[in-house]
Amino acid sequence: MHAEPTVAPPVAAPVRAERFPGTVVARLSARRAARSGAVWGLIFGLSIASSEVSYTRIYTTQAERDALAAAYGSNKATSALFGPAPQLQTVGGFTVFKISMTLMILGAVWGLLTSTRLLRGEEDSGRWDLLLTGLTTRRGATAQALAGLGAGAGLLWLLTAVVSVLSGRGSKVGIAAGPSLYLALAVVTTAVMFLAVGALTSQLAETRRQAASYAAVFLGVSYALRMIADAGVGLHALIWASPLGWVEELQPITAPQPLALLPIIALTAVLAAVAVHLAGLRDVGAGIVADRSHSHRHLALLSGPTGLAIRLLRATVIAWWVAIAAAALLYGLIARSAGATISGSSVREVFAKLGAPGTGADAVLGVCFLVLAVLVAFVGAGQITAARAEESGGRLDHMLVRPVSRASWLSGRLLVAVIVLLLSSVGAGVFAWLGAASQHSSVGFTTLLGAGVNLVPPAIAILGIGVLAFGIRPRTTSVVVYGLLGWSLLVVIIGGIGATNHWVLDTSVFHHMASAPAAPPEWEANGIMTGIGVASALVGGLAFWRRDLQGE
Amino acid sequence: MATAIRTEGLTKRYGDVVALDHLDLEVARGEVVGYLGPNGAGKTTTIRLLLGLSRPTEGRGEVFGLDCQLQPVEVHRRLAFVPGEANLWPSLTGGETLALLGRVHGHVDEAYRDELIDRFDLDPTKKVRAYSMGNRQKVILVAALMVRPDLLVLDEPTNGLDPLMEQAFRHCIGEARGRGQTVFLSSHVLSEVEALCDRVGILREGRLVEIGTLAEMRHLSALSVEATFDSAVPDLSGVPGVSSVETNGRVVRCQVRGSIQPLLRALADADVTELVSREPSLEELFLALYGEDGHAR
Repeated sequence: MHAEPTVAPPVAAPVRAERFPGTVVARLSARRAARSGAVWGLIFGLSIASSEVSYTRIYTTQAERDALAAAYGSNKATSALFGPAPQLQTVGGFTVFKISMTLMILGAVWGLLTSTRLLRGEEDSGRWDLLLTGLTTRRGATAQALAGLGAGAGLLWLLTAVVSVLSGRGSKVGIAAGPSLYLALAVVTTAVMFLAVGALTSQLAETRRQAASYAAVFLGVSYALRMIADAGVGLHALIWASPLGWVEELQPITAPQPLALLPIIALTAVLAAVAVHLAGLRDVGAGIVADRSHSHRHLALLSGPTGLAIRLLRATVIAWWVAIAAAALLYGLIARSAGATISGSSVREVFAKLGAPGTGADAVLGVCFLVLAVLVAFVGAGQITAARAEESGGRLDHMLVRPVSRASWLSGRLLVAVIVLLLSSVGAGVFAWLGAASQHSSVGFTTLLGAGVNLVPPAIAILGIGVLAFGIRPRTTSVVVYGLLGWSLLVVIIGGIGATNHWVLDTSVFHHMASAPAAPPEWEANGIMTGIGVASALVGGLAFWRRDLQGE
Repeated sequence: MATAIRTEGLTKRYGDVVALDHLDLEVARGEVVGYLGPNGAGKTTTIRLLLGLSRPTEGRGEVFGLDCQLQPVEVHRRLAFVPGEANLWPSLTGGETLALLGRVHGHVDEAYRDELIDRFDLDPTKKVRAYSMGNRQKVILVAALMVRPDLLVLDEPTNGLDPLMEQAFRHCIGEARGRGQTVFLSSHVLSEVEALCDRVGILREGRLVEIGTLAEMRHLSALSVEATFDSAVPDLSGVPGVSSVETNGRVVRCQVRGSIQPLLRALADADVTELVSREPSLEELFLALYGEDGHAR
């Protein structure tokens, strides 16, 4: 025996004293929430800063600023999409209009994903059980996790605030620290509310995905209510029925109204308290809304890996389709009246800078279709991350140890993905036409169908680059696709204002897309984007064939 | 062709870590072979290479003469695999999972499938999410057995099964052997391997250190002898081949390596009332192999 003689430690000796055993869960979730909170805080801060700086560069004269205000100040289409634009003559007013709705929604998505991941997700994986065997209770652990999430949101606010205060100090920007801090607070409040929403839905649902879907529905309803309130159809009071409306009513920089914080704080506190209470009422691992544990056999799609993919993805895809169709329909409905507000050459110039030349409904739809392009690209990103999840979850093994080749598995999934993207895009065009036609708008069916198909290439590029990541570094798949998507979106938002280096612009998958129907689709650019996607997918597929399957 | 599995210099490295080191292994058709080793010895790596889920750094493996890497689909038509961890689709029921996996494989003995569902006491209408770990394991066991493959590759297949179900599993493997199916069973439940396997391979740190029948391997370890004496207990410590002598009152236990003759001669002069000798169990063999420098991992 070569083993070293070991001396058993005295039984009573403490291994390593944990000084605050009652805060382990809080610190664990704080650490995980802080990581993404910090990244998003920087992104939020930089978006605000870039918006401020570019405004001062582009709109240098009062005349230009007045023209901008004339274009958007009373534009109900953009007001419905991005919120009202009361003070476009000032850098602060412009920034609030340009960036705050996007950041509010991104913050809400961050909040609901983070809290469902760290609450229901941990429970799903069984790790929650381990934590609960420590010195805590179900309610205690949930409260602690919420405190940890709060710390993550705190960091999100801190970084947003630091960057925007620094940017506000710039001589041309000239926004004082107070208003900058308040602006950062306003954009982060949705994140806080949706952390609490996610905490509640994590108690209701039995799986992380379900919990996130419930929270997403809440977000969708909030956005829709706010949209109607801001669409200028005489229902502005609805703004108080929507949590996103409350955030809008904070009116940072333009006309601060801190009283609107009251419903925000109240909702957050109530949701968090109810979540903690419910955590004590239910069994660990179960949801308040019971999932059916038995079911009849539905074998129609279960004929092979591709059928299985359709079955597993259909609920999510249908939810996306409903969202895309609803958005497209709404854009179609408001296009004509919004288009009527665009007149005069200076206004047209401003719209052209956003990539939507022309006047009238098609110009408005040109901007709206960019939002639809982002939604369709999200669908593409979801397809490849779902494929990766099959692998990392060990479920792909069951297919590939049977007579299914890697090539047929991957190509089947990609075929499904491409069909889903095509249908999403065509649907966007058709529903936008339905909305527009009902208002007797002059934009034709084939134009809008073309504008729909025009949404496919960026999504194909995202999908293809996702396959490349999946093949070469599978564990980075979701970071790569969502990172690229977020980056592309930011570049377009910033680039839409004007002066940005064309090398930077070129990295955005949306930059190369013509803003149809305002401009005709550029089929050559679309071909190049599609080509990039296809080539990346081929290289990724080859790399996938050559590599080991890898778990998480 | 009489071999079911053959590997030649099969090697897998992850960076500097050698997970499997030049494995040469041959499993004949109809054989039931156990594959033993502690966690991290390379058992699962071997199986994933054979299944084509991982790519070898060097060497090759074949199943029924078909290359595991180049002809995976043909290989998979003839085998079924049971992993130790049942990661299934939570939203499908057990029955739907079996239907899916059966259709993907191609042909299923449906009568046998229903019999297995019965035997393993599985409720196929339940969703996988609602199954316990043991019940999920039953689903993939049934999925593998119901296609009656020529080769069953099992990687710690009885994880989470209760003793009754483990008995049912052993029964099924016995049947498989009776029908001439080949079984490759990686396990660290030694009693399971001892009960089921014709031959056993033992893996340590990525290298195959022993392979043979249990009878062949027994000579590697000592025989346990326990003798009870009526009168004075003789000193056996100097007897050639004898070690680990323990005296407890009139009972002496010791281990004998090699020939037992010197011990018998030494005992002949003493007053022995009872003599028990026992062959080493697989567990003792395993521990003996790992005891040497098994700690210095």
